Amino acid sequence: MSSFAPVPQTPEGGTPLAGPDPVYLRDPLLDATVRMVVELTAQLWVEREHRLALEGRLAESGVLPAAALENWQPTAEHLARVKRERDRLVDDVFKELRRIPATPHSQD
Amino acid sequence: MTNLATSAVLPVLAMRDDAAYLDFVEGFREYILGKGADFEDRLDAEARAEAQRRGKDWSDLEDLRTFLARYPLTRMRDRLVRTQQEMKWHRLARSYGDRRAELAAELARWDQKGPGRLELDPQFKVPAYANVEFHLQPGSYYHDELSGFLYHYGTKVFFRGGNDQDELHGALVARVPLPADGKVSRVLDMACSVGQSSTAFKRRFPAAQVTGIDYSTPMLRVAHRRAAMAGLDVTFTQRLVERTGFPDAHFDITFAFIVFHELPIRIIRETVREAARITRPGGRFIVLDFTETAIKSPYQLYHRWFDARYNGEPYSQDFCDCNFDALLAENGFVADADVMSQRSGGAGYVKNWLATRV
Repeated sequence: MSSFAPVPQTPEGGTPLAGPDPVYLRDPLLDATVRMVVELTAQLWVEREHRLALEGRLAESGVLPAAALENWQPTAEHLARVKRERDRLVDDVFKELRRIPATPHSQD
Repeated sequence: MTNLATSAVLPVLAMRDDAAYLDFVEGFREYILGKGADFEDRLDAEARAEAQRRGKDWSDLEDLRTFLARYPLTRMRDRLVRTQQEMKWHRLARSYGDRRAELAAELARWDQKGPGRLELDPQFKVPAYANVEFHLQPGSYYHDELSGFLYHYGTKVFFRGGNDQDELHGALVARVPLPADGKVSRVLDMACSVGQSSTAFKRRFPAAQVTGIDYSTPMLRVAHRRAAMAGLDVTFTQRLVERTGFPDAHFDITFAFIVFHELPIRIIRETVREAARITRPGGRFIVLDFTETAIKSPYQLYHRWFDARYNGEPYSQDFCDCNFDALLAENGFVADADVMSQRSGGAGYVKNWLATRV
């Protein structure tokens, strides 16, 4: 994705920077949960916006009555694309799980 | 909502979905920073009431942090503020990353085009202090060839729809007072980033020679493309704000938009000294940056610390603590200053210093 390799930051004095995964809610599980909820809401909005745009365009052009979508048989190519998109969505939401540190709970 | 960028110079994202996602982040940001979640006013009221109970103000930042950390509301606020920033960069870097080859070619296409000039120094060494992921931008301002585009879209989201057409830059440039003699032949935009102020200056003073400087090659390339696309003759050149290399008393107006809080205190002092050297007597030195610690609300005090530590702004606390008014005076400037209002009214987060070189 990027054309650069991450390099350590080198601030000159000032306020010490936090590390990459600060915990605000006293339990990394809670932080991860909140991140997932926000991410899910974003993904939900993306889908809703896209559907609204599509429905609007279809209705505007008169090419596809809403009922026709219900009876549609997708092609193998389309199904493969949907699977790729689904896997991307799963990773978008649940990548947070990789950020939970593999360390014991402080109270255990 | 469309996948078309909001201005001609802001490249479209790879997919409509990316635009919708970032539109969500923009709205979510407005919600958590404004009256939607209403974090600021509620936490500020708690801190003020506690100060009244104790009979003293929050001069001890550690004490304030400890007090506010007791509130789950604070911790949730912090989590969400950090999260929206991470979401923005993750999606934006992926989307522009998907268009990397096209966008790199787009920059190359404009590098040699005029009007205006792009001066990059192949031997230029970015100072170590700049190697910080300000606002958590991946790759900081200069490690990625697309850093300028990332920054531009990132700030579009940051301004929550209020600067899609550079309205903010245009308004700030419009309120710059002329020197007393009215002469404006040369304007310098210090740390010009993607050139939004530089081009606004050229529009306001078409006959003036306008120069934007920055250490970042990717920013300067985007700035030059912006000006050239608009048919504006602006020079963008790779230089340091603390050591510009321009002659003494060269500029009628020297401008620094949200620059100083991203400099270490040593460089802040050197840069004011440099501005005094290159701004002619009677010329203006215009600075917009964070308000000083002494006039911040309790919530703003807390937010400054949070922003410094968790949003890649390590130098900002030192800037707010440094008595910038005194620094200007020590270097031969006489300054008026306005604290800008925030949207909800009341004292905001930034201040506009309108200084004159004596």
